[in-house]
Amino acid sequence: MKRTERAFFAVAAFAAPCVAMAAWTKTYVVEWNEPAMYYGGKSGVIDPGTDCPSGTNPEIDWVKVMMDAGYTREEAEWLRNPANPTRSPVHGQNQLAFRGKDRANVYVNPTSTPDPGLVGVSGTIAEGIDLDGDDATGFTSPDGEKGVDNNFYKTLGCWKTYRGPRRLSSGALQFNDSMRNGAWTTLIVVAGRGDDPMNDSNVTVGFYASDDKMVKDGNSNIARDYTFSIKPHARYEAIFPARVNNGVITSTKPVSGVLREPAYWRDLELERAQIKLTMQPDGSLTGYVGGYRPWEHVYKGWVNARGPVIEALTWVQLPGVYYALRRNADYSPSGAKGEKTHISYALRVDALPAFVMTPDAAQQVAAVESYKSIAPPDTSRTAGLFSQVVDGLFIDPKAQQQAGPDAVIVPPANLATAKE
Amino acid sequence: MYYGRSVRCGARSVAPPPGGRTLVKKTVSVFALLGANILGGFAIQAAPVQGAAQAPAMTVGVRRITETQYRHTIADVFGPAIKVEARFEPERREEGLLALGSAMLSLTSSGFEQYFALARSISEQVLSEQGRETAVACQPTDAAKPDAECARQFVARYGELLFRRPLTPAEIQSRLNISARGAKQTGDFYAGLELALTSLLVAPEFLFRIESAEPDPAAPHQYRLDAFSKATRLSFLLWDTTPDAELLSAARSGALHSQDELERQVDRMLAAPKFNDGARAFFADMFQLDGFGNLVKDPSIYPKFDQSVAEAAREQMLLRTIDLLVRRQGDYRDLFTARDAFLNRSLAAVYQVPYASRAQWMTYVFPQDSERSGILTDIGFLALHAHPGTSSPTRRGIKVLEIFMCQATPQPPANVDFSTVQDSTKGTVRGRLLDHMENEGCSGCHRRTDPLGLALEHFDGLGQLRTMENGVPIDVTAQLKNITIEGARGVGEYLRNEPKVPACLVRNVYSYGVGEKTYGRDKAYLAEQTKAFIASGYRFPALVRQVASSPEFFKVIAPKSKPKAPVAEATVTQLQSTVE
Repeated sequence: MKRTERAFFAVAAFAAPCVAMAAWTKTYVVEWNEPAMYYGGKSGVIDPGTDCPSGTNPEIDWVKVMMDAGYTREEAEWLRNPANPTRSPVHGQNQLAFRGKDRANVYVNPTSTPDPGLVGVSGTIAEGIDLDGDDATGFTSPDGEKGVDNNFYKTLGCWKTYRGPRRLSSGALQFNDSMRNGAWTTLIVVAGRGDDPMNDSNVTVGFYASDDKMVKDGNSNIARDYTFSIKPHARYEAIFPARVNNGVITSTKPVSGVLREPAYWRDLELERAQIKLTMQPDGSLTGYVGGYRPWEHVYKGWVNARGPVIEALTWVQLPGVYYALRRNADYSPSGAKGEKTHISYALRVDALPAFVMTPDAAQQVAAVESYKSIAPPDTSRTAGLFSQVVDGLFIDPKAQQQAGPDAVIVPPANLATAKE
Repeated sequence: MYYGRSVRCGARSVAPPPGGRTLVKKTVSVFALLGANILGGFAIQAAPVQGAAQAPAMTVGVRRITETQYRHTIADVFGPAIKVEARFEPERREEGLLALGSAMLSLTSSGFEQYFALARSISEQVLSEQGRETAVACQPTDAAKPDAECARQFVARYGELLFRRPLTPAEIQSRLNISARGAKQTGDFYAGLELALTSLLVAPEFLFRIESAEPDPAAPHQYRLDAFSKATRLSFLLWDTTPDAELLSAARSGALHSQDELERQVDRMLAAPKFNDGARAFFADMFQLDGFGNLVKDPSIYPKFDQSVAEAAREQMLLRTIDLLVRRQGDYRDLFTARDAFLNRSLAAVYQVPYASRAQWMTYVFPQDSERSGILTDIGFLALHAHPGTSSPTRRGIKVLEIFMCQATPQPPANVDFSTVQDSTKGTVRGRLLDHMENEGCSGCHRRTDPLGLALEHFDGLGQLRTMENGVPIDVTAQLKNITIEGARGVGEYLRNEPKVPACLVRNVYSYGVGEKTYGRDKAYLAEQTKAFIASGYRFPALVRQVASSPEFFKVIAPKSKPKAPVAEATVTQLQSTVE
C-alpha cells in the first residue's frame, strides 16, 4: 500500500462514522452478473421462444441499409466487401457511421436517420423486481409474481448480445469472463440486527468494490471462501435497507446507488434501486438488483465501444437501439410528468461466500457502512474509457484519408492502387 | 557423443562403467573437446590419493547431489543471478530419506544430457560479457588467444569451490588443455574458459559428493575422513551447499581435524542465514515433501486444489518448521500441538478462514477449540497422505509412524481384496476399514497404522475440516494399544509424549548428514544424542550442533564391496541396522 493510502486510512479510521456492529453478517463475492433477460426458447441460444417469437434478431443487410442512406449499390457493396479491410479508417466499417441525413454520423446524431426499428420482447414473462409497487404494470416473473418492471429487457431482449439462456448470452459471457479474469470485483455484505439470519426484519446490504481478484478453482469456476478487502470507491457503492424472510432478502426502501456493470458502460447508476436476493442452502446468494437507469448511457456505451464494430458483429442498428430505449423509458427522477430519462432494469447476480475485510485488510467487516467518504477521488469516469474512439469511431490519425460525410468512396477500378 | 562411464554409488566405489550412449548431435563438437578430459580427470580421482602416512586413501562414500544442493551451490559460487533452468533426475528414498537414496543413485544418459545442457547454460552466463568481469579475476594478455596462467587461476579457483577440494595438477591440466584448444579454435579466450567450466560442471566430482578417507596419523592402521570430506559433510548438512572459503581454508590447513576448530566452524555455520537453507532441505527430505511434485486431487471433489495450493501447502509446512525450530529455536514437540499456522490467501480459502493481511504470508492462530494441531493438520500433510478423491486413515497412520517415529510398515500382501475399503460412497472410512480388517492378513498392520489415521478423519482428502461422511457422523476416537486418542489434537499430544519421536529426529539428522543407515553399533551413540537433545529442551539447532561436532559424524565406514581392503578389517565392522 502506498504511503498516501496508509495515511488516508489512518485518518479515515477517525473520520468514518461510527456504525453499530451487526448481530450477524454474511459476506459474498459476485462471481457472475448479467442483465436479467428471460430466455423464452426451449433450447439453443437464439431459437424462437415466447420472448422473441421470431428468435434472436437476424443479421442486418448492410448493403440495403447503406443504399437506403443514399449510397450507391456499388459503394455499399464495396464498403461491405470482406476483402476490404474491415477496420480501415478509409473505406471500411467507419463509413457505416455516416448514414444519417446529409451523411451525418448516426452514432452521435441517431435522430438524423429515421427509426430503423428494433424488434423487442413480445412475451409477458420477465425477471426482475416490481420497482413501482404496481403489480398491474410490467411483466410476470417466471414464478408468477406480477408487476416485474424491466423495460430494458423489453427493449433489448431479442438483441443477440443480450439474448440467451442464463449465463450463456454472448454479452454476459464476454463481460463475465473479463470480471472473472480479474478486471473488477464486487463484494456483497449482508448484516442483520436480529437473531436469525434467515428471518430478520432489520437488515442492511452493501455492495462494494474490491481490488482483490477472484481465483478460479480446479474446475475453472470461481473458488469459494477467498478473502477480499473492500476498496472505498467514490462511485461503486450501494447500500440497501432490507429484510429477510425465509432466506429471501428484499428491500424495504428504494435507494440510489452505483454498481460496476458488466458492460462497456461500466456505471450502473440506479435510481429507486431495490434488491431481491436469496440465501441458498449451499451458502451462495442469488437474485436481482433492480432500479431505473439512465437509458442514454446504455446507448453511449455501445457507441463508444466502436459503433460500426458493434453493429456488424452483434446484428443491430444502433440508432434503432436509441429510439427503442427512448420509446420504452419509464421513469423520470423529476416526477411523473418529467422527461423519461431512465429505464427499468434488473441485474441478475450470483455470489459465493467469501471473507470480506475492512479496507486495511485488518479485520472482517462487522457491519454495512458507507466508505465513500474515505474513497480517493474518482479519476476513471466511463467517458474516457476508449481514448482512441471519437464519435463512436476508432480513428487512425496517420491514415491518408478518413471516413466521413465527404469521404470519397473509392471506385472498384481504382482499388488496386488504393493505399491507406 | 559419449559419456564414457556411469557412477554407481551403492557399492561405495567409483568404477568405469560399460560404454556410453549417443546424445544430441549439436553438442558433439563441445564434447569432443571435453570428453577425454572429463574421463581423464575422473580416472585420476578414482585412483587412490597418496596420504601423508604413505597408505592409500580410499573412497568411502559417493552421493549424487540433490537439486537444491546443485542450485544452492551454483548460487553461492557464481551468484544468485545465474539461472538454473533444468529438469533434474528423479531421486530415490531409502529408509525414509532421499539423502540415503542419493547414495544409491546412478546417472542416466538422459540425466547427463540435462546436466550437460545446464552446465553449458551456466558457463555461458558466468562468462558472458557482463559476467566475466566479476567471474574472472585476471586479464588475458590477448583475449583472442589462450592464456594458460589466467586460465589456471580461473580453473583452480572455481574447481575448488565446485569439487569441494583443491584440484589435482592433472585435473587442472586437463581443463587447461580444454581451455587452450577451445580458445584456439574460436579465437576467444573466454570461449575456451567456458569449455573448461563446463567440464568442471559435468565432472562426477561435482555432481557427486565423493568422500575420501585417509590414514589417521593419530591411530596407526586406521582411517579418518579427510578434511575436505569433513568440510563437505558439514556444509551440506548445515547449509545444503558447497563449503565456503573459510571452511575450505580450515580443511586445507588441517585445522578442521581439531575439535576446537570443528566446533568453531559448526557454531559459525549455525549462526549463518544459510542454516535456514540447510534446515529446509533436511525437513523437506524428512517430511517427504518431494511428494508434492506428484500430488493430484480430483477437482470435482476438491475444486480448491490446484498446483498453487500444492506449492503453498508444501511451503506452509516448511515455514512452520523453520520458524519454530530455527528462528524461534523452539521445542520440537510443539510441531505437533501448535495452534498457529502460516497461511497465504489460497490456503486461507482451503482452511476457510479470513486472510487478514496484505503480505504474501501471515500467521493465523486457530481458536482454542479448533481441531487443528500443528503440522499433522497442515493440509500439506493431510492432502499428501490421502487418495486423490478420499482421505486415507491408513496412509496417514503409516506416514505418522514412518516420518515422525521412524517405524516402517510393510507393503500389503498381493492378494488383498480392497473393494470394500475403496467404496467411498457408503458410510465412513472407519466402518469400511473395520470390514477390511476382518481379513486376518491385514489386521496386524492395520491395528498399528489405522488408529492414528482414524483420529485425523475430521479432515478430508484435502485437509478440509468435516464432521460427516456420506451423511454419517465421523468418529475420531482411536485406540492405540492401551491409549485412547481423541481426534487430531489427541494425535498431537500422543506424538508430543512419545519417546520414539525425538529419537527418530536424531536418527534422521545423523543419517541425513552421513548418508548412511544406522546400525546396531550406532545405538548407544544415538541414545546419547537423543538424551542430549531432550536435555536441550528439544532444540533442533542444539541437536545439529551435537551431531555435527561429534566424532561419530565423521567416522569412516568402509564400503561393503571392498571387504579385502586392509582398513575394513582394522577399523570397520559391518553391523546390523537398528532401524525398526
